[in-house]
Amino acid sequence: MKLRAIELSNIRRFAGQRARLSGLGDGLTVLSEPNEFGKSTFFDALHAVFFERHRASGAGVKSLRPHAGGAPEASVEVELTKGHYTIFKRWLSRPQARITEAGGRIIAQDDEAEAWIEALMQDGAGAGGLAGPSGLVWVRQGLLGLEPEGTSADEKRIRERGLNTRRDLLSSVAGEIEAMTGGRRMDAVVARVVEDLAPLVTATGKPKSGGAWATALAEVESLAKEIAELRPKAERLSGDLARRGEVQRQIARLTDPAEAEARTEAVKAAKAAYEAAQAHAAQLAQSETALRLAQNEEAAANGEISRLTQLQARLKDLAQARDAAETKAEAARQRAEDLAGREGAARQKAETTGQALRDLRARLGAAQKAQLARAAAARAEALSSQVKRAESLQQEAEQITAKLGLMRISPKALQAAEEAQAALDRLTVQAELQAVQITAHPTGGGQALLEGVPLGPGPHPVLAACEITLPGFGSLHLDPGAKRGAETAQRLDQARGARDAALAACGAESLSDARHLLNEAQRLREALKQITASLADVAPKGAESLRADLARAQAEATQAPQQGAEEDIPGLEVALAQADEAASTAQAEARTAQDLASTAREARAGAEAARLAQKQAHEAAQQEAGDPQALAERLAVLRAELPKRAQATAEKAQAHQLLTAAAPDLATAEARLARATSAAEQARHEIEEGRRHLAELDTRISVLAEEGIEERLADLEGRHQEAEARAGRYEGEVKALTRLRVALEAARSAAREAYFEPVMRELKPLLSILHPGAEIEIDDQTLLPAILTREGEAESLGILSGGTREQLAILTRLAFARLFAQAGHPVPVILDDALVMSDDDRIEAMFTALHRVARDQQIIVFTCRQRAFAQLGGAKAQVTVEAL
Amino acid sequence: MAFSFLHASDLHLGKPFGGYPEAIRNRLREARHGAIAALATAARSGRARHVLLAGDTFDAETPAPETLRQALSAMAEESDIAWTLLPGNHDSLAATELWRRIATEAPENLRVLTTPDPIALSGGVYVLPAPCTQRRPGRDLTEAMSAPTPEGAVRIGLGHGAITDFSGGESLAEEGGAGIIPPDRATRSGLDYLALGDWHGQMQVGPRTWYSGTPEPDGFKHDLAGGALLVSLDRPGDPPDVTPMETGHLRWHGLSLEMLPGEDTTALLDLMLPGSRRRNHLVKLVISGRLPLAERAALEAELARLAPEFGWWAADLSRLGVEALPEDLDQIDRAGALRQAAEVLLAESGDLALSQADRDVAARALARLYALSQEVQA
Repeated sequence: MKLRAIELSNIRRFAGQRARLSGLGDGLTVLSEPNEFGKSTFFDALHAVFFERHRASGAGVKSLRPHAGGAPEASVEVELTKGHYTIFKRWLSRPQARITEAGGRIIAQDDEAEAWIEALMQDGAGAGGLAGPSGLVWVRQGLLGLEPEGTSADEKRIRERGLNTRRDLLSSVAGEIEAMTGGRRMDAVVARVVEDLAPLVTATGKPKSGGAWATALAEVESLAKEIAELRPKAERLSGDLARRGEVQRQIARLTDPAEAEARTEAVKAAKAAYEAAQAHAAQLAQSETALRLAQNEEAAANGEISRLTQLQARLKDLAQARDAAETKAEAARQRAEDLAGREGAARQKAETTGQALRDLRARLGAAQKAQLARAAAARAEALSSQVKRAESLQQEAEQITAKLGLMRISPKALQAAEEAQAALDRLTVQAELQAVQITAHPTGGGQALLEGVPLGPGPHPVLAACEITLPGFGSLHLDPGAKRGAETAQRLDQARGARDAALAACGAESLSDARHLLNEAQRLREALKQITASLADVAPKGAESLRADLARAQAEATQAPQQGAEEDIPGLEVALAQADEAASTAQAEARTAQDLASTAREARAGAEAARLAQKQAHEAAQQEAGDPQALAERLAVLRAELPKRAQATAEKAQAHQLLTAAAPDLATAEARLARATSAAEQARHEIEEGRRHLAELDTRISVLAEEGIEERLADLEGRHQEAEARAGRYEGEVKALTRLRVALEAARSAAREAYFEPVMRELKPLLSILHPGAEIEIDDQTLLPAILTREGEAESLGILSGGTREQLAILTRLAFARLFAQAGHPVPVILDDALVMSDDDRIEAMFTALHRVARDQQIIVFTCRQRAFAQLGGAKAQVTVEAL
Repeated sequence: MAFSFLHASDLHLGKPFGGYPEAIRNRLREARHGAIAALATAARSGRARHVLLAGDTFDAETPAPETLRQALSAMAEESDIAWTLLPGNHDSLAATELWRRIATEAPENLRVLTTPDPIALSGGVYVLPAPCTQRRPGRDLTEAMSAPTPEGAVRIGLGHGAITDFSGGESLAEEGGAGIIPPDRATRSGLDYLALGDWHGQMQVGPRTWYSGTPEPDGFKHDLAGGALLVSLDRPGDPPDVTPMETGHLRWHGLSLEMLPGEDTTALLDLMLPGSRRRNHLVKLVISGRLPLAERAALEAELARLAPEFGWWAADLSRLGVEALPEDLDQIDRAGALRQAAEVLLAESGDLALSQADRDVAARALARLYALSQEVQA
């Protein structure tokens, strides 16, 4: 359906008038007029034609009536695929509805007309498709949301109608949403899954506190804790029982009478054996003491003999050592003195040869300096000559350069002068050829005069006015013509001036002078080139460098020493080498002598110290030995007693050996006694300990047994196992339900995306004009955009700015309008002062979106913002108003 | 005149049954205690005055005081019955405290056989006991049954433990492990009858050797009624006359059911399950095989309906595979998101790239989806 015209009579401000809005095209049509023009009146009247029955008298209809009263009338011309029709309605007074064909034939009236309109609406956009200003394709002033948000019955009804329309539309292009998303059955299944999960898990999937799963897990934990506490007691009880059996068996064995008697007998026997061994051990100890005494005395005698013998020998050795040390000390003293003398002589020789060497070096140095000074003087003389030559060449070059600087001639200047002269010559010849020729043929002796100059034979050109004096006749004034003569003269003057200027540029007065000057300049340049080359040979680094070299050579020449000029340098160098060798040899010998003398002094000190030590040792030994005679006598006595002492020792040793061989092992006897006693004691102790332990075990077992620990533990373990199994079942249940919920949600999400794909396909290109890259999410309850995601940030429509909400509302309607068109039911989009909250940039983008859709969609825009909407373009609607 | 006695074992008095809910747990414990009176009744019905308990009368080495005292009281109350009690592996001689207490508190009609010495039951009838010394003694204690008895005596062996299985199969050990008692012990030791305990199912091992089984079942291992054996011995060397006596109160059924598509699950279950007094039956049902979603849902509904009728009920469907027929998925939805979710779960349940656990989760989720979708539709 397309709207073509709207006509109002007696509606609001058009009281007593008929207003007609026409020029509504196929695409975008704009009615841009100031406030109070009546745009909204057209909008409301249009709405009333479609949605207010002609017999209606509600507020919507009454609002159309002007203050002056009367019956409001409105008609809308529509174009349908089957033809053009006019829908007319009159309300309140003699209400009427009428449908007229293009040819003027009425095809329906009143209720039939309403039915016709209803059918049109049904056919156009489904039930309630174009319902109300909040319908899909009607956008009126200040609209922000996609549908009314209030709670009034009317607003609810509008929302419901809009939803139904969207459902119908989307169903026609994408199938039934219920079929796609599972609809109410899916909702119910999901609700049941959620309901079944709710008692078991939290929103994050954790066991829910107080729920059956959490309870089972808590039981598992609690029972495990109880088991952990009880099991050690049960194990203790079991251990105690085992120990009690063991202890009982042990006590029974220990208290066996035969075993007790055997232990007593063993102690007695061990004690007797130990006492016998002790008695024998006492005898053996006495024998051993006697033997040790004899052995000690014999050893003491031997020791004394040995000591005295050694003392004698040591005295002798010390006397010999003392004499040898004295001899050695004397020899060392003599050697030290001898080497000291040699050291002095060597040092003297080294000083002498060293002085000779220094003298020779001084002489050779002076001779070499004198030789260098002479060479410098010779070099200064040569350099002086080069400097003079260079300065001469430099002066000559400067003179030529100065001359060349004064000469202005150049081949180019000469050429210019030659060309100027040739031009002058050409003009002169031309002038002469064009000039009046005077040829005198005197017949008498008279001499004709031209400007006072005798006129010779031959023709004379007359280039300017002149006087010819003819003797006897008088004079003739000859004028070749003022204008022509002046022109020729002017051109000649110009050519002449040019030639003179060219010559002046050459610095010459004539052309031959100029040629001569050019030859001279070339000659001078050649000479300068030769001089420059010579100067480069004489002073490659420049004259200044040459003069600096000369100054240095002269300075070196003046530094000649006073002596040494006559020295024989090669001779001196030979003598110097010999003296150097001699001095080195003497120094080495001096160092050797010094080392030897030093060593000898140390050896002398050492020998002297050794001598003193030997002397003191000998004196000490003499003091220790005392009188040598008495020492010898003492030795003789001791040696004589020695055999008797040895005999006594051997006898005591034999007796001791016999006792030792017969001795029982006291330690073994003692150990046997200890073991037997210990075993008896241990048995007694073990019996006591066993009985005590048994009493303890009896008490403990009795107490624990009364608690029925084993049964309790088995009970707890069974309950723990059951709780674990129960928790496992709940876990399995939760996993299955969770998996089911995820699968359902994923499937529904995928179905939803598929379902809304047609809307998104239309909406996304429009959205990208305003918000490139933005995504929109559609609510499957309202079937309208709900979430806008820009740069990864999702925002619900409710929190967006008014401008953005307004733009999205219009874009959504445009998208749905395109879907209507695709479904074969095109409907117009009517915007009444929309985009009031959009800024300049966005409004431009919205214009682009409107134009994009208007290529195949009728859009009618009412606006009072004439300046802002000037850029919208589109066709202009016309409004005519006439009195009734 | 023939000598008759009741051969019983494995009362496991005091067994806690902690893995079961409170209600059935109490009944289970009470039933075990009631076994004493049941045995006495069975003995009387067979005109026997002796009840020989072949071990494991008590479940633990140190039973709770009430367990012990109530048991002793119950035996005492059956004053016309002589109770002969052999330590088993659960209540072995190592349970010194138990036997000390019994020795202290036992009624006159109770005799405890704590040594392997032959004991005269009545004139000319001897019991040759083999009391368990430890929970796992590690040797054949029944060798003691070869001990001499007076000429012409009737010799009754009383032992507890697993017998050796010479056929190479599993030995008859209630708790696993190798059997030690030779199956021909009766012959070897010249026994007229060998009364054995340990195996909770009643079973004849040889002409003269029997396991009595437990008088009150305590697990799903043996799907048998609890009972005892009434044994009658006429003369030495004569074969024993053995009559099984039912004493059990509660029945345990460990059932396996393999399902295939199209099977009548209700009929199968009816066939397997007891038809009456279901509250006295404990059922553990393991269902394997595969079923279409619809049949699985029907099975689950049937199981849910049956469960409250029994004393205890557990059905394990973890081994039951999902077979989703196209019509099953159609019943979830013919198209759309529900159908899509179902197909995803079905694919996952058979995706070998996933772990078995994940496949099982997907199968359960699919079954749940089917059931929920049917409920919602209804």
